[in-house]
Amino acid sequence: MRQLAIAALSIGFLILFYFTLHAAYKLFASDLPVPGQELAAEADSRAYRLVVITQELDTPFWLQVKKGALSAAAQRGASLEMWGTYSSDRKEFLKQIEIAIASKVDGIIVQGLNTPEFTYLTKIKAAGSGIPILTVANDVPMNDSLRRTYVGSDHLAAGRMIARQLIEDMGSSGKVVLMVSDRQEDYQRSRLKGILEVLKAYPQVKTEIVASGDEKDAVVSATDDLLNTQPDAKAFIAVAANHASIIIQEIEKRSRVEPYYIYAFDDSPETMTLLKQSKIDALVAQSPELMGELSVKLMTEWLDGKVVPLNPDGYFTQVRVLRAGEAE
Amino acid sequence: MNSIQRKIMSLSVIVLFIMAIIWVVLTYYNQKTQEQYNEVLQRYLRMNEMTNLSQQTIASLNVYLLQPTANTLDAFHVTTERILQANNEIAKLRTADNGFTLTNYMHMIESLVEAENRSVMFHDQKNNEFSAARFEEATRIHNYIVETTLSLIDKDLKTYDHFYRSIMAQSTELKRLGVWLLTFITVTLLLFAYWFSRSITMPIHKLTVAARELARGKFEQRIEVHSNDEISFLARTFDRMRININDLISEIHRTAQLELELKESKLLLKESQLRSLQSQINPHFLFNTLDTLSKKAYLEGSLETSDLIANVAGLLRYNLRRLDRSVTLREEVNVVLKYIEIQQARFADRLRFVQQVDERWLHVHLPCLTLQPIIENAVIHAVEPLEEGGTIVFRILSEDGERVRIEIEDSGAGMAPEQVQRMLEEQPQERGNAQGHSTGIGFSNVVKRLRLFTGVEDVLEIDSGLQQGTKVTLKIPVA
Repeated sequence: MRQLAIAALSIGFLILFYFTLHAAYKLFASDLPVPGQELAAEADSRAYRLVVITQELDTPFWLQVKKGALSAAAQRGASLEMWGTYSSDRKEFLKQIEIAIASKVDGIIVQGLNTPEFTYLTKIKAAGSGIPILTVANDVPMNDSLRRTYVGSDHLAAGRMIARQLIEDMGSSGKVVLMVSDRQEDYQRSRLKGILEVLKAYPQVKTEIVASGDEKDAVVSATDDLLNTQPDAKAFIAVAANHASIIIQEIEKRSRVEPYYIYAFDDSPETMTLLKQSKIDALVAQSPELMGELSVKLMTEWLDGKVVPLNPDGYFTQVRVLRAGEAE
Repeated sequence: MNSIQRKIMSLSVIVLFIMAIIWVVLTYYNQKTQEQYNEVLQRYLRMNEMTNLSQQTIASLNVYLLQPTANTLDAFHVTTERILQANNEIAKLRTADNGFTLTNYMHMIESLVEAENRSVMFHDQKNNEFSAARFEEATRIHNYIVETTLSLIDKDLKTYDHFYRSIMAQSTELKRLGVWLLTFITVTLLLFAYWFSRSITMPIHKLTVAARELARGKFEQRIEVHSNDEISFLARTFDRMRININDLISEIHRTAQLELELKESKLLLKESQLRSLQSQINPHFLFNTLDTLSKKAYLEGSLETSDLIANVAGLLRYNLRRLDRSVTLREEVNVVLKYIEIQQARFADRLRFVQQVDERWLHVHLPCLTLQPIIENAVIHAVEPLEEGGTIVFRILSEDGERVRIEIEDSGAGMAPEQVQRMLEEQPQERGNAQGHSTGIGFSNVVKRLRLFTGVEDVLEIDSGLQQGTKVTLKIPVA
């Protein structure tokens, strides 16, 4: 009896001891991860601080750019942040640029915006503070902005490519509608210019340029108007990226889409889906990741003084035409 | 030395030590957590201070632009000085996550001060338009600073989120540990205290039991206490006391026994002396008369009568000597032979006496007048009442060399066992029987004296039955 009691007590004692030790171990093992001042962080402060500013944060295109830029920055030990606005809020966008200038970052990589405010900021303030500015994806005229260079697609060439594709598909006669954004930005002008350059050689091809706002409603009403006033239009080219899907939606409300030749720029998932469904006949794919990479590379090289000066005409990244049916 | 005291002290020290450790650990953790909280809070306060300072610079600049005096300029310079100082301090808030933003932030403050200075400069140059533009820019930068402060705090919240959770988890762990520790220590201390108190009270309990036994008069049980403190010393002392008491008591017993025996032997001696005194009318007269009679008979040629009278005289002398002295067996045998000679003169052929005496054992001591009363007893009971007389066999021998056997066997009517028992129990015979003895010493007297002399209870054996004769055997130790 006594032995049994002693055994039971010992077991209880051991169990208690185990749990106590366990609790103590857990307490001491859970070391507090104090996010203190790290030396690595200190080193960061001496690395180049680059900012990429866009008007279209978190769109598939810009996510690609971000990916490329971040990997390039990581390679070069530069710290990089992606700033920007959603849904093309210009005021906010300009404010971001101003903040970047006030923050005295080492380099600003910015989506070009062809407005006087943008020009003022880049030309007077950034240049005044000695901060280099690269434009990426969208360019602005060099003289206005004093940008160091441009990294992105050659929109003129892209326009030409799509126009050639159109002639190939449609033949050398017909009415072509060019949907542009009413905020005539530099890249749209370049694309338009490229398209018109090619089509000029075909007198049978009539072009109709339709400008609309960027909002969905504006595009819808513009398309409606167009379909009403120009029933004989055979082809549509969505010069601004996000117009293509709206145009197709509106056409689908009235008739089948296949007879129309529809072209678009920018390979967003939406347009890619439409391309796969053969609703879009062809589109121009850009290389956003390469843009990000290249822009960061050029910026750091310029800051290091390796490549001085940068080519003011810009560094073009690859563009290619994806045709329906060919799309993977 | 003071073992119990040491035990109690060590228990207290252990308990104190454990408590102190727990207290220290808990306090340490509390303090650590508090410091960490403090640090985090300090960060926020510092960031907030930056916003305030930036606001102050704008305000002081505004005051200066409205009232450009030396005082207001000084006030402006003081505020910008302060913000630049604070700006240097804020570099310490750098973490892995906010490095980029923090650097931007610090540069922004520099930009703010630059813009403000420029505004002052343009103002001094009376270029009010530019000055106002700079002021406006400074205001914008101030707004950016406010925003960035918020985003920094936001980042900090994100960065410290994990940290906060860890602190919470840790405090939960701490609580759990506290509960376990409390349970563990409670149980352990209870067990320890039980064991400890047992180690003190168990020996005391044993001692109490032993004391009770002693009080009841049981001195034989050993007192054993296994303990390493004073109790064991106490127990040892107690045990020694018990042994001493035990010895004393047995000593007293022995002394009492001896005294009793002494008293008894004195009593017997007195009895025999009394008896002998009765017959001691005038011993010298009796001896001289008997001597004269013996000589007279010898001169008259009656040799047999002369010898007989000489024997009677010898027997009488022997009988009159001090009875409290031991004699050798040889003297006893001589007396027996004289007695037999006298009796043979009386009974002639009716008394047949056979003796087988081993001469080697005749030096053995025994009380005076022990054999003669037994022989006389045999003569009285086995020869006198019978017409055809009887045979008395007297043997002295030793079987083992340690005790001498003296056997006196008769061919008489024998005794019933009850009577034998009575004789062995030293009960005095009926008066009539004792009167027949020549020396006045009865059988029971002999038995008692033999027992007192040898100290052995079974010194005498009686082997008898009705119509079987009686055999009395004495076993006297040689030494």
